[in-house]
Amino acid sequence: MEIIVDCYGVTARLAGGPEHVIGLTPGARIADLLDMLGARWPELAKVLPACACAVGDTVVSRTHALAGGERLALLPPVSGG
Amino acid sequence: MRLTEDPLQLDALIADSIDARSGALVVFGGTVRDHHEGRGVTHLAYSAYAPLGDRLIREIERATLAKFKVYHCRVVHRTGSLDVGEVAIYAVVRAAHRREAFAAAQYAVDRVKHEVPVWKEEFYTDGSSGFVQGCCIGPESCHPERSEGSRTSRCGVRDPSSPSAPRHDTKEAA
Repeated sequence: MEIIVDCYGVTARLAGGPEHVIGLTPGARIADLLDMLGARWPELAKVLPACACAVGDTVVSRTHALAGGERLALLPPVSGG
Repeated sequence: MRLTEDPLQLDALIADSIDARSGALVVFGGTVRDHHEGRGVTHLAYSAYAPLGDRLIREIERATLAKFKVYHCRVVHRTGSLDVGEVAIYAVVRAAHRREAFAAAQYAVDRVKHEVPVWKEEFYTDGSSGFVQGCCIGPESCHPERSEGSRTSRCGVRDPSSPSAPRHDTKEAA
């Protein structure tokens, strides 16, 4: 299955762009996806422990089971204001 | 909408907040300054994850109303490229008395800064840029051991390419 990952803030730079389509085995969880992202982009791996993930308007945990076609937002530490 | 690329309109925000019970109107505006940690800043670029950000700002407004004796609380945050002097955030609070209004405005702005998915990239006078170090959001990021219900914490994440710098710098092409 494929997951679309939208990278925000510094993660877009560390991953070489804001949007990535990632292939995963069915039943994969967000933790699995983050492991894959970290393996692909070692610099990104260093900030992943500080990132939250969201689907739509909801923050989801690393145990969230992904569904094919789902769109996941990767949210690094925030700095608004 | 609480997040917008359009310039923030204070007159409209104040007009929407009029409340006969209120004797205090507090407005906080956060503007782009021309320096940060000793470096000259030319402009900022704000980006946001709007689906979550808009919902969280509304939740913070409701929490502010519940926590303080205030009649109105509205926070709006701008995204996109902002020059020095432009307003990035407004908080408008009305209450019967100033003490509650000041406290509520500070509470709301602090929470928005620490919890809402907005990112600030600074562009420096030397041509480089960097994302400002921020706060982790979500229950598992940064400090997975912290107690349930704690949604945010100060984050010590460092630039992975430069451990001494609290930002991710990139040299722009000349």
